[in-house]
Amino acid sequence: MGSHPWREGAKAAAPIVLGYLPVGVAFGVLARRAGMAPSEVGLMSLLVYAGSSQFVAVELISEGIAWFPIVITTFFVNLRHLLMSSTVSLFLKKESLRTLTLVSAQLTDESFAVAMSQPSKIQDRPGYVFGLQIISHCAWIGGSVAGALFGSLIDHEGYGLPFALPGLFICLLVLQIKSLDHFWMMIVAGILSLVFKWLVPGNWYIIMAALLTSGIGVAIKTRRAGDQPSKAKS
Amino acid sequence: MSQDIVLLILGMAGVTFVSRFLPMVLLSRWTLPEKVRWGLEYIPVAVLSAIVFPILFFDRKGALTLQPQFLFAALPVFIFAWKVKSIWGSVVLGMIVYWLLGFV
Repeated sequence: MGSHPWREGAKAAAPIVLGYLPVGVAFGVLARRAGMAPSEVGLMSLLVYAGSSQFVAVELISEGIAWFPIVITTFFVNLRHLLMSSTVSLFLKKESLRTLTLVSAQLTDESFAVAMSQPSKIQDRPGYVFGLQIISHCAWIGGSVAGALFGSLIDHEGYGLPFALPGLFICLLVLQIKSLDHFWMMIVAGILSLVFKWLVPGNWYIIMAALLTSGIGVAIKTRRAGDQPSKAKS
Repeated sequence: MSQDIVLLILGMAGVTFVSRFLPMVLLSRWTLPEKVRWGLEYIPVAVLSAIVFPILFFDRKGALTLQPQFLFAALPVFIFAWKVKSIWGSVVLGMIVYWLLGFV
């Protein structure tokens, strides 16, 4: 039994830290190369804290695109948080607005996935989520500022570092397979994501594949629920 | 700091916060219909799968090709994660295999 949800969550952040440090460094290096100052890199990682959209922003800055279109792009890239936030909300029904603000502000793909790998740990325990997220956030800020300051000294392509986040995601995906249904949902979402990424420009593929997959899952479950009574009769 | 960068950062922070904050506050106060809850149950596996598969089958420029170094590193991580269920171990194993594959 964890008496300190906060500390327990902080410990659960270890694999995220391992993934965020190198990716943060890579971000810092690229941002610097695009012309951002280390202080700007730090501010962006502090306030925005959304890796993929930060990489996209840096790419657009280096192409000379103005701030407003980048903000719109960020909005679309980060729309997938709607789904993750909706899911986490089911476990935090009794919390105050202040707690929910703190917990939601630091929600990322990685902290979401670690939190959902053991949903019982976050049930009515915002402290756990907060500990998990604050440590992850610090790693992201630290990594990106370090990258902006000393990036040229580190080989961020070496030592298997490019596989740190993919490895984390694969493990978290496997931990989500709790039944045969989940396994098939993984296959369906995987194939759909490839198709959508191939067909649709930008970062829409994640939200499209996830929504369609979950819709298919609900349709199958609804049909099965409808079949059950009729089977019982015959 | 240049004014444009500050505007950019504040704008990005604002839109990102909205997508994180709104569902959490609205949905934690309402009870959702059963079918929506079923749907949300599949969201984690679907989101993660939609993140992982493209990493294995698209290159960095966004072209659809096999990524042998990623695929061969992914396979042992899949099996290890399934059997051992250790997040930390999976990440380290994946990095080591990926690193060794770089020498092949």
